Amino acid sequence: MNDWLVRLAKIDRRYIFLIVAVSVILPLLFPLHYPIRVTRHTRAVFDIVDQIPPDSNPILISFEYGPSTMPECHPMAYAILRHAFARRVRVIGITLSADATGLGEKALQDVALEFGREYGKDYVFLGYKPGVSAVMLSIGEDIKTTFPQDFYGQSTSEIPMLADVHNYGQIPLVIPLTGSATATFWLIYAGARYHARVADGVTAVMASELYSYLQTKQLSGLLAGLKGAAEYEHLVRQAGYTQREGRASRGMDALSTMHLVIIAFIVLGNIGFFLSRRAAKEGVQS
Amino acid sequence: MILMDTVWTWIAALLTLAIFSFLYKDNPFYKFAEHLFVGVSAAYTLVLAYYNSFVPNLILPVFREHNYWFIIPGLLGLLFFARFIPRLGFLILFPISFTIGGYAGLSIGPGLQARLLKQLQGSMLHPADFTDPWTLINKIIVLIGILGTMLYFYFSKEHKGVLKLATGIGIWFIMVGFGAAFGYTVMARASLLIGRIQFLLTDWLHLIR
Repeated sequence: MNDWLVRLAKIDRRYIFLIVAVSVILPLLFPLHYPIRVTRHTRAVFDIVDQIPPDSNPILISFEYGPSTMPECHPMAYAILRHAFARRVRVIGITLSADATGLGEKALQDVALEFGREYGKDYVFLGYKPGVSAVMLSIGEDIKTTFPQDFYGQSTSEIPMLADVHNYGQIPLVIPLTGSATATFWLIYAGARYHARVADGVTAVMASELYSYLQTKQLSGLLAGLKGAAEYEHLVRQAGYTQREGRASRGMDALSTMHLVIIAFIVLGNIGFFLSRRAAKEGVQS
Repeated sequence: MILMDTVWTWIAALLTLAIFSFLYKDNPFYKFAEHLFVGVSAAYTLVLAYYNSFVPNLILPVFREHNYWFIIPGLLGLLFFARFIPRLGFLILFPISFTIGGYAGLSIGPGLQARLLKQLQGSMLHPADFTDPWTLINKIIVLIGILGTMLYFYFSKEHKGVLKLATGIGIWFIMVGFGAAFGYTVMARASLLIGRIQFLLTDWLHLIR
């Protein structure tokens, strides 16, 4: 038994890759339907969007993710947009990451088509602007000066939806969807400087460092990784805004199964490590 | 249009498999996909930056609106390229000073407010916290964690006696923090793999609806 565990600790890592791949593929093909429990931080974001009056001031979604973080942030974008468009909440889309431009535009177009929303009246896409913190600060002064034109070259002063929108004062919620430190930048430059209400949607890697900002209420809510996206999808479906099962919800079975496999590997790896260390000590003594 | 979508899906799927092939061992397919990604990303960013920043912030104001003030920041930006001319290399210091000075001025106030003052305020006990026992317990744990962690990084006195006890508590909080961050990192990496496999099974192979 001991020999077996010691050998297992030295197994070729390609076998581990194979087992991990199987643990992802099988639950995707044959769903296990693990329950999705909603955290209060995800519910907080949902509640804010749910309380914004229809056809009133728009929320601002900043798409800041690329292909490398798309599996976590893209489902968040779809879930929030479905919620907003189902309730006729207006949306301003911007991006501070060049990679995200195509992804943000596609998410807005797809969900607008699904709910029959009209460009310029129900949503607008202002495109990419380099400068990150400078852009955040500039929106606090005047969004139309920051983005003189939308993504398609139309002057923002001619877009009906933006007629009464000048800065964060007319934006009830800012939601950056990001896999980078810009999640904290929004708190600093939009939140602390201009008192904007900020709720982050971030990759799981970023989530742990943002909890302290939730505790001090600088963040109004948080969607953390694929789990956060699945929770939001669950809330939108539960509220009857859509019947679609999002990609994040479908991925949760695979995520939970994969976590169990990784936990098993960590436990076995540690047992193997301690046994091989003991065997080495005994070898030295004899 | 549908035919084009299928072509792009096949290209994306084959490039995904080329990247995954690295898990077996390094190979030319992986190298090709990696270089292609770097090249496409760089070109895409450059084109977007030109049309979304350079054109609306310099070309249009100067040539269409005849607002010549915009030439000054434009020239300042050009000085970044001075480093390629050894004799004029020092000129790069001007745009760098403006950038650093501007960003520092803009960041210090709100940064202090968000990262230090508000966080300090959140770690303190308020009279309102005593009305709910769970909030009070939570606040006390946070306070102990902060004090212990900060004392752990206090190196001007040897960690002995009471200080050793406090720093011992601090290291436990640090380890719990690292554990949570590691757990989230595993989840993030797992999510990326799931996203790609979902793409392969759904969009490419149509095994999932």
